[in-house]
Amino acid sequence: MRYRTQAVAYAYFAVALLLYGLQMVFGILSITKYLGPDPIKAFLPFDVSKEIHTNVLIVWVLTGFMGAAYWLVPEESRTELHSPRLAYWQLGLWTVAGVTAVVGYLFGWTEGNKLLEQPMPVKFAIVVVMLMFLYNLGMTIWKAKKLTTTEGVLVAGLALTAILYLPALLTFDNYTVSIYYRWWTVHLWVEGVWEMVQGGLLAYLLIRLSGADREVMEKWLYVIVGLTFIAGILGTAHHYFWIGVPGYWQAIGGFFSALEPLAFLGMAIYAYMAMRRSGLAHPNRLALHWTIGSAVFSALGAGILGLAHTWPSVNRWTHGTMITAMHGHMAFFGAYVMIVLAMITYAAPGLFGHDQEGSESPTGLWAFWLQMAGMFGMTMAFAAAGISQTYLERILGLGYLETQHKIQVHFLMVLGTGLLFSLGVGLFLYDFFFLAPGRRTAPATWPATADAKG
Amino acid sequence: MTKRQTRAFFLGSTGLFSLIFLALTIDSHRQFGALTHADQITPEVVAGKHVWHRKNCVNCHTLLGEGAYYAPDLTKIADQRGAPYLRSFLADPARFYNEERDRRLMPNLKLSPQEIDEVIAFLTWVGKIDNHGWPPRPILVSGAAIPGSNVGGAAPQAASDDPVAVGQALFGQSSPGCFACHSTSPGVNLVGPSLAGIAATAEARVKAPDYKGKATDAAGYIHESVMDPNAYLVPGATFSSNGQSLMPPGFGQSLQPAQVDALVAYLMTLK
Repeated sequence: MRYRTQAVAYAYFAVALLLYGLQMVFGILSITKYLGPDPIKAFLPFDVSKEIHTNVLIVWVLTGFMGAAYWLVPEESRTELHSPRLAYWQLGLWTVAGVTAVVGYLFGWTEGNKLLEQPMPVKFAIVVVMLMFLYNLGMTIWKAKKLTTTEGVLVAGLALTAILYLPALLTFDNYTVSIYYRWWTVHLWVEGVWEMVQGGLLAYLLIRLSGADREVMEKWLYVIVGLTFIAGILGTAHHYFWIGVPGYWQAIGGFFSALEPLAFLGMAIYAYMAMRRSGLAHPNRLALHWTIGSAVFSALGAGILGLAHTWPSVNRWTHGTMITAMHGHMAFFGAYVMIVLAMITYAAPGLFGHDQEGSESPTGLWAFWLQMAGMFGMTMAFAAAGISQTYLERILGLGYLETQHKIQVHFLMVLGTGLLFSLGVGLFLYDFFFLAPGRRTAPATWPATADAKG
Repeated sequence: MTKRQTRAFFLGSTGLFSLIFLALTIDSHRQFGALTHADQITPEVVAGKHVWHRKNCVNCHTLLGEGAYYAPDLTKIADQRGAPYLRSFLADPARFYNEERDRRLMPNLKLSPQEIDEVIAFLTWVGKIDNHGWPPRPILVSGAAIPGSNVGGAAPQAASDDPVAVGQALFGQSSPGCFACHSTSPGVNLVGPSLAGIAATAEARVKAPDYKGKATDAAGYIHESVMDPNAYLVPGATFSSNGQSLMPPGFGQSLQPAQVDALVAYLMTLK
């Protein structure tokens, strides 16, 4: 750790990981309900467990992004953070808002709008948190008078994340129009500006881990985010096919969605070339695993599996089936979960005062491989469920309930592989919270810097 | 390629495609009114949308294919089931589905009668949105399209002008969608009673002392049941509620007299 104030990242990572664990609990509960009957539906029905599962995911990934930015920006701008105190207050407010939302959901306090269920006061708190965050980052960069391309892409991605949350505050009487703008937040986050965040973090990690030339890496980073937006902005249309919009969105959505894998494939090639050119010699092998894993898994989950059902004539039959769950799980994991875990494992030696070599523990590697295997299995199980569902329900015309009954074995597979995955998550948390602090080799002091602030 | 050039590529392409997206958004707004029949968004429909959100329906069901995959899609439900059925179902879902048998059961949301009417109005409006013909085949809540419909292919077409063939095809088509609620297999009661052996059943029923309708023969009874489902209420928990049949009441208007005759001709063959 080069700057003392980078330590705020630890608090963010800790909160993010606790929520990651919570997400598992509600994921397992949700898939168990698919097997039915559900003895606890009176006080925790499926809609609530699923809502918490997805909302906690969004909150913890964003928490991870924030922690990663607080780690990365001081290093890139070569200065202490503008105000660590503000960063802690921000985390406090963010956590309170997140916990309030989750508890509220348990009692039916929801806006019932998929992925944007947060009640209005919570939404406002989120806006305030984002403003605190961007102010703190902005002031840090402004005072340092130094902005690298890597952090520029990261911070721009985070700023656009905040801006694109604003459509979520709007309400419309026309359901079609509500859906139209809901996707401005949801799609343009996950298939747009979050990819900027992922690209920025990936560039940073690759430069640090492989020692690849910064000029070259940053040059290609622009190409990757350029491709992301060429495909991603008009690719929003693949959510518009069947909601009551003009017909031209089908042609546009089909074409630009087909381009969406390019940016993800670009990232995988980017990582591969960096490694080929500069080697895999970095001692933090665990961070290398997560970094390369993210580049590969996002190409597969977000790129290829997304393309599997965005062509309009395919989507006509698969829309609203388990096929979407197949793509969603692997895409989110590969692109966003893995990049956050890569940042956590990369920063861990600095945060804990380890030698870099100390970070590749057997527990850490088990956590990695169990999550990989679990997610791969879940994706396959969702795919089998989705294909069967599409065929039986949409093509043969069996009733929804009969179809769900016939594909139960796939839900059982989701549960089994989901438990495997959760075990991996559990080991990651155990390593971070219990094992890592005990492996400290360096003193917990950092070189004082002239511009450090309280 | 230099870094300056790739930056220009990023900024230029992002700007260009954002502008195209905004322009298409403006054009879409010009068309939303007609495509969604926005003039039919009454205060009741808006109130129903609020019920839809407040009760978190979208985190189990899909609507227009969007939502969660734990419960059936509701895009065309108002058309498929009709308001009387939905009113009765929403008041007490456990009357219609059994958690042991179906593995899932919608919780009773304790909606007021007014909220129920509002959400039905909302779903009725959604069903009319011009969404390019999605879903391509009806998504049934329960029951199979087999038997009684042409499984696996396009909607059945009559093989000839014979009224029985025309009626059989009509029975399996998504409008009127008879097959969605009535099976033709003995003992398989979906939402409505099984129509296996309906010709014989009808024959016996018109002679029964509790029959108060106007029909005098089996064909007349079937005709009357289509045109006026309330004329005789078949005993059964899910078939009627408060003295009113749960079968959609509008077939007398939506079907041509010749179509009703064809359906009757077909059903009269089920002995």
